[in-house]
Amino acid sequence: MRDPKLDLLQELGNIGAGHAATALSQMLDGQKKLQLIVPEAKLIPFEAAANIMEGTEEEPVVGIYIQVSGDAHGHMAFILPLDSAMAAVELLTLDSTGELNEMALSALQEMGNIMITSYLNALSSMTDLTLTPSVPGVAVDMAGAVWQSILAGAQVAEHVTLIKTDFYTDDDPVGGHILFLPDEDDFERIARILGLGALG
Amino acid sequence: MAQKVLIVDDTAFMRMTLKNVIEKSGYEVIGEAGDGEDAVSQYKELQPDLVTMDITMPKMDGITAIKEIKQSHPDAKIIVCSAMGQKPMVIEALNAGAKDFLVKPFDAERVIEALKKAEA
Repeated sequence: MRDPKLDLLQELGNIGAGHAATALSQMLDGQKKLQLIVPEAKLIPFEAAANIMEGTEEEPVVGIYIQVSGDAHGHMAFILPLDSAMAAVELLTLDSTGELNEMALSALQEMGNIMITSYLNALSSMTDLTLTPSVPGVAVDMAGAVWQSILAGAQVAEHVTLIKTDFYTDDDPVGGHILFLPDEDDFERIARILGLGALG
Repeated sequence: MAQKVLIVDDTAFMRMTLKNVIEKSGYEVIGEAGDGEDAVSQYKELQPDLVTMDITMPKMDGITAIKEIKQSHPDAKIIVCSAMGQKPMVIEALNAGAKDFLVKPFDAERVIEALKKAEA
């Protein structure tokens, strides 16, 4: 039987990511019509966490990451392939030079910030917990390196709960992953608030 | 005379976006601050008519900056523009003296509407 905790996490991930997708769509809309779909919100067991970028480890990506504090703690990241990031930059800044300059990085930082915070806002309104995002960090590197540094920053011990949602747009240009690593103890509390009772 | 606006946000991209929207509607952007500390000192120096204030920023957050500005300038007209739209944060900002709270992403009309309402 599937752990009800996983179902709950998946549902939280779906709702949070749904809000993040809406936020992204609003940001990019007006310049180009985008349709965002959220095809999967899956829980990755933790031994596998370090390997989730397997196959794409060497792909250049942009990662925007945030530490969550307040009534519950955790880490969140938005990781998107570099070409996808540049497509987003062009839509946001109307700069089509393809240069990852200071303004481009600033636009990506703000895009990630708004998406991740929208995700947290949705979780907050469901749970009545305040989930405060930190100032976002931005990294440009190979996918494996970016993900490893996010995991290292999260100070994951021997177990990690990970909710990963992939984004696509139907006419391509922007896609990526949004990742949420809630602190295990706080997650138990969230589950109780949402009426799941004690979880084994 | 055009109303003078101070824009406070830690990302250059958001400052640029807000500046475009605000100037198109006939306001004059007289300053841009990248954190709360900078906002407090620029407010004192420039005495703007209106302020747009982000919340999550390095050095000093927007709520603290609103409180500091309000302490020395109780008539300051400040509108929050933040992605962090959770209820307790909105209440805290309004209690600190913010006139309005816009949750990012916002559309241009909503920003101008809030500025007009605040200046009235």
